[in-house]
Amino acid sequence: MTRLRSRPRMIRLMFIYLAVAVTLFWALAPIYWVMVSSISTRAELYTAPKKVWFPASPTLQNYQDLFTTGPKYRAGGFLPTADLMSRGMRNSIVASTATAALVTLLATGAGYVFARLRFRGNQIAFFYLMLMMPLPIWVSLVELYFMFSRLELMDTLVGLILILTTLALPISTWLMTTYIRDIPIEIEDAALVDGCSRWRLLVSIIMPLARPGMVAVFLVALLMAWNNFLIPLIFTRTSASQPMTVVLSLFIGQYEVAWEAMSAAAVVTMVPPFLMALFFQRYLVRGLTLGAVK
Amino acid sequence: MRRVLSHDAVFIILVLLPIIVLVTLFIYYPAASTFQTSLTSENLRIRRPAEFIGLKNYNFLLHDAEFWEVTRRSLVVVLLTLPLEMLIGFLVALLLNERFPGRGIVRTLVILPWMMPPVVNGFLWGWLLNGEYGALNGFLYELGLINQYRYWLRAPETQIVWVAVVQTWTRFAFPMIILLAGLQSIPDELYDAAKVDGAGVWARLRAVTFPLLLPSFAVALVIEFTTTFQIFDVVWTLTSSGGAGGTINPFTKTLMIFNYELVFRDLRIGRGAALSYIILLMSLAVGMIVVWRIYRQGIRE
Repeated sequence: MTRLRSRPRMIRLMFIYLAVAVTLFWALAPIYWVMVSSISTRAELYTAPKKVWFPASPTLQNYQDLFTTGPKYRAGGFLPTADLMSRGMRNSIVASTATAALVTLLATGAGYVFARLRFRGNQIAFFYLMLMMPLPIWVSLVELYFMFSRLELMDTLVGLILILTTLALPISTWLMTTYIRDIPIEIEDAALVDGCSRWRLLVSIIMPLARPGMVAVFLVALLMAWNNFLIPLIFTRTSASQPMTVVLSLFIGQYEVAWEAMSAAAVVTMVPPFLMALFFQRYLVRGLTLGAVK
Repeated sequence: MRRVLSHDAVFIILVLLPIIVLVTLFIYYPAASTFQTSLTSENLRIRRPAEFIGLKNYNFLLHDAEFWEVTRRSLVVVLLTLPLEMLIGFLVALLLNERFPGRGIVRTLVILPWMMPPVVNGFLWGWLLNGEYGALNGFLYELGLINQYRYWLRAPETQIVWVAVVQTWTRFAFPMIILLAGLQSIPDELYDAAKVDGAGVWARLRAVTFPLLLPSFAVALVIEFTTTFQIFDVVWTLTSSGGAGGTINPFTKTLMIFNYELVFRDLRIGRGAALSYIILLMSLAVGMIVVWRIYRQGIRE
């Protein structure tokens, strides 16, 4: 770019920052409001027509209530939320990390096979896997529901993890395949000549080299699993396995509406994806755009 | 690529087997058996064994007024959301394609709504649009644009518009990223050449940017079509379709919500199964384009 004189440059920057301000307002104002709501007292929150845009004395009371006694807005207003929240968090954390770990392990192995080994059925197996990506998940869910009942996987974390894992497999395998293909092959050749087995090669040579790819796959799977709502809505019943997305949906539409507490619950549900987006965005974007962006 | 030695076969089988088993057991097998169910009269409310009834479920749905109403509504959401999110995505992409201090942070922040659970987004906007204490009311009031709070989500016909707005807010970062990547791959020389030819900003957009961005637009459109056509989470929490109380809001009932209702509320399994296959056919045609592209890129690259 040619260097412009400073005055037009200032004007250009001014326009740009004006546009940036509008864009950020659109993207962030709703998030700001739910965060502010969660640290406001009910009295401040329920002011109208003039709103309090930031509480005079921010409080964490709503969070404390949510996780201890609970602001009694469940099931007609009499059941505390403490149990629901702590188990919801536990279920979300367990289900999404287990899913991400399992997906990363399986996808790395498969990625290596698809990237490096030529055998009959290679392309068919790959296509078989990719074909499920555009399938509206419903066609499987209807019967899967009855299958899970028969297998006694209904309302269990294991069942939830298995489905979430399966759903993340195609994109993860695709990501690992393209990642491993870009690793120079010479090191492997040398190792194979030395009589190294495929397993050893995968664990001690490919995995260290493919670590950034594995991190990306892990994060994408974690985010997808954490954010999922439809799957746990159908396959969980009680707090034995209900994750936060479902817990949050249970709070909505109850008799006594406690927006400050519900906001706190919403913030708790969105904090992990929020932090991941802030710190690991580079890793996430490629996977979440189905590889449309490098 | 190299030839496989025989002992590699064991390795390949052990590595691929768990994946093939999972996908077969949890996706393809149930999908096939859902199809089988769609040809029966299975209804768990009735104590009568399901009978094979051929394509009657499909026939029923295709002559069902509610099915067409729900399909029309899903298309309305798509037709409202897609142009809006493409436009916003494109404008933000143009902005982020400019060089300015702080661009990286802006990009990170703009993507946040897309990374959050859609179920949270629905809730969040439900609270923003609240008629008694909502922030949108407060904001418009302070700007002097309204002098009285409004119940934004009360009128049935506006609910679906808000669903589209929230879906746009949730998804716009996706086309933005795709289009930004497209923009960044356009070489500066093309613009310089256009400038030399005396093309203004608009002419450069038309002659250089748009044609070269077409593939990116196409990819984003296809993916966004399948995503929004099957909208569920946002509708569920924004217009409290489900709630814990269990009533499904009839004014925002989209295809997926309708399908959920048929199967898990009405227990008309056969009919619900048929509907899920109709939805499949409608979105697969478009979705296959994406898979084919990804498959080719993945296998050949």
